[in-house]
Amino acid sequence: MPKLLIVDDESDIREFAKRFFLKRNIEVFTASGGIEALDIIEKENPDLVLLDVNMEQTSGVEVLKKLRERKNDVKVIMVTGVEDESVINEVNSWGVRGYIHKPLVLEELEKIVLAELVKK
Amino acid sequence: MLTIVKGLSLSTFLISALLIVLMVFVLIKNSKSPVNLSFALVCLSAAIWLFSYSQAYNSSYTEEILFWFKVGYPGVVFIAITYLHFANVILKIKSTRKIIIFSYIVGFFMAYLIWTSNFIVNGLNEFKWGFYPKAGKLHPYFLMIFLGLVNAASAQIGYTYFLKRKEFASLTLQQLKYILLAFGIFTLASIDFIPNYGINILPLGFIPVTIFLSIICYSIIKYRLMDISLAITRTGIFLVVYSFVLGIPFAIAFGCREFLFILFNDNWWIIPLVSSTILATGGPYIYLYIQKQAENNLLKEQRQYQSTLRQASLGMGRIKDLKKLLQLIVHIVARAVRIEHCEIYLLHEASNQYVLKASKGRLKVDQVSVLPIDSILVKEMIKIKEPFVYDEINQRSHDYQDKNLSEIEQIMKNLDGALLVPSFIEERLIAIIVLGKKKSGKLYSHDDLAVFSILANQSALAIENAQFYEDMKKTHEQLFRAEKMATIGTMADGLSHQINNRLHAMGFIAGDALDTIRIKKKEALPEDIKIVFEDIEHSLDRIQDNVKRGGEIVEGLLKYTRKGEEGFSPVDLDKLFDASFEMAQFKIKVNEIDVVKNFNETTPQIYGNFTQLQEVLFNIIDNSYDAMVQRKNDLKEPNYRGRLEVNATKKGRKIEIVIKDNGMGVKEEDLNKLFAPFFTTKLSSKKGTGLGLYVIRQIIEENHGGKVEFLSKLGIGSETHLTLPIVTEGDDTKILS
Repeated sequence: MPKLLIVDDESDIREFAKRFFLKRNIEVFTASGGIEALDIIEKENPDLVLLDVNMEQTSGVEVLKKLRERKNDVKVIMVTGVEDESVINEVNSWGVRGYIHKPLVLEELEKIVLAELVKK
Repeated sequence: MLTIVKGLSLSTFLISALLIVLMVFVLIKNSKSPVNLSFALVCLSAAIWLFSYSQAYNSSYTEEILFWFKVGYPGVVFIAITYLHFANVILKIKSTRKIIIFSYIVGFFMAYLIWTSNFIVNGLNEFKWGFYPKAGKLHPYFLMIFLGLVNAASAQIGYTYFLKRKEFASLTLQQLKYILLAFGIFTLASIDFIPNYGINILPLGFIPVTIFLSIICYSIIKYRLMDISLAITRTGIFLVVYSFVLGIPFAIAFGCREFLFILFNDNWWIIPLVSSTILATGGPYIYLYIQKQAENNLLKEQRQYQSTLRQASLGMGRIKDLKKLLQLIVHIVARAVRIEHCEIYLLHEASNQYVLKASKGRLKVDQVSVLPIDSILVKEMIKIKEPFVYDEINQRSHDYQDKNLSEIEQIMKNLDGALLVPSFIEERLIAIIVLGKKKSGKLYSHDDLAVFSILANQSALAIENAQFYEDMKKTHEQLFRAEKMATIGTMADGLSHQINNRLHAMGFIAGDALDTIRIKKKEALPEDIKIVFEDIEHSLDRIQDNVKRGGEIVEGLLKYTRKGEEGFSPVDLDKLFDASFEMAQFKIKVNEIDVVKNFNETTPQIYGNFTQLQEVLFNIIDNSYDAMVQRKNDLKEPNYRGRLEVNATKKGRKIEIVIKDNGMGVKEEDLNKLFAPFFTTKLSSKKGTGLGLYVIRQIIEENHGGKVEFLSKLGIGSETHLTLPIVTEGDDTKILS
């Protein structure tokens, strides 16, 4: 069963995304912040991480940076609110599968996520 | 005996001095005008006559007396000649030039005869009161010529005044009336010829000359005869009063001498002496009294105006609404004097012209609506800073054959303005007040001009005040709007994240619910539950759709509000336009519209952010296309074909790009709202988010330091003007390094 980690400080997002992907036979983990996310990645080694850029404590960009510093090359998709060239440039250099733009309807997210998981 | 002669001497001396003063006044004002010059000659001739006579009366030696009389007598001759000359000049009669010159020659010949022979002046007549020149053999002929010339001159003026009125401006006619009266009285001085023939009459000719002087002074003041200003009003009154104060004792002395002699014997002279003492003491009081009376009469109108003015200035200062103020000014002017019409033309700096803003008493249709700032009338008015009187301009343009003056005359004629009053603030002519003719048919007096000048300048202050107030109000509104926009800008950043997150969550919630429903639907369900599920499915679908659109709005709002020169580079207009047009092509059917590009490789490069500018051009092209489609559908013109025209012009260090379409255009009342976010005129709200023009302004003005202007006329089309910086050397090096 493929493993998906959803990192978002919005509980609604975590709850409903989890419910959605569970129905598709995907093992879903959620993290409400950067530190928690790093822990889960270490422990569970997910196939894909949906990483929110804009979080109250540790930002998605920092999480990504730490992961790469630890030589962890887990697949990451950044979830951004606002298209900001500087963020995109930074994220690109850290190696991400891509970035998606809030708000995004689940059907579209599903396509992206399934495509990434299939590539495994 | 001594007293009479001394009195004559003093009086004639005084009058000759006054004549010289008047002559100098007239010459100082305008020594080139033939009218002033010939009048000065009249004064000079009379002054020579009276001065020499005063010297003769003052002397006790017969030889010396005769000498002075002979010096003065030619003055008498030349009074007649110069008067004729003056009359011909003021009546603009040119055909008599030779006659005038001949008269002068005759005059010099007579002067020669007087000095070298006894034909005209032959020794002295001795009267009880003193000596007087005796008429020679040819004196009767001399007298005939003299009276002939004087009467010819008066007849010419009289003829013009009474029978040829229509050919002259009303101002000139008024002047002629006073000239005729003045010289008519002057002619009475001819009684001085009687003692020449040994008849014992006192030579009191200086008295009519005094009256002549007073009348001329009066008409100078009242009717600007020979353009002399009001400055001599008081001098004039002073002269008149003192001639009377001093004249009365002499009149008593001369006129009632016989009678007094019977009453008081040898002491008769006490009466004139006492009366002169009393009058001299009372003189200043009498002067003040008469001055007051005279000014009351002379300046009666001015006094009336002053109260109107005071009321007006009180009222004007309070009015802050410019339109109302201008109406009030026009109203006040029309009320102060009953005039046919009155207009006010206000400076409109943007268009460099004076625009008709308020009027009274005339239909709008026949009024001149603008006066260009570079018209000769405005230029001259700024130079001269004085009111323009049509009659005067008319007269002068004929007198001097001046092209500028006749042009001004023509403009005033078109305005139907009898009087144009400038409204100045320091050096700035901010308004021109046009006054029509007075209903009474009277002329504008000097008092009128003074009063209207004051009124005009007070109006200028009030107008500036009102304009300032209106500008301030506008600035306030703009500031308020800008502040609102700035608040929206700062709030947008923080707010959009929040909204985005909410939308995102909402999308997930709806999406998951939809997902659940769709899975459940596949199972065998009772029909009624299936219908409920379908309804819910539809609702959730709609929620998702709205989430998407909400996201687009937030994105649009945020995407282009970032400042700074990040991503700035030289941009080719040609490439930019093509890229933008390509963006729009999924919607636009290219063969449906004409695209005209009026720029080429030589058009300077823009210095800016390509992506942002592409967004701008795309938005404009998109808007234009929608407007064209709307026009096609709404107006249903048979031969309509959309046309998009792009022009680029270099303007200093900027480039102006004008995108012009022949679409539907925008209603005037909507124009101001166009650049506010969330305003859209597109009928179907599906088509636009209402952010297009707002984003365009953000990109052009905030991010690029440029300018965007949108002009539109409903049913005709729209123009978007973009002013953007062009590439300079500094920008190039920045890019290369």
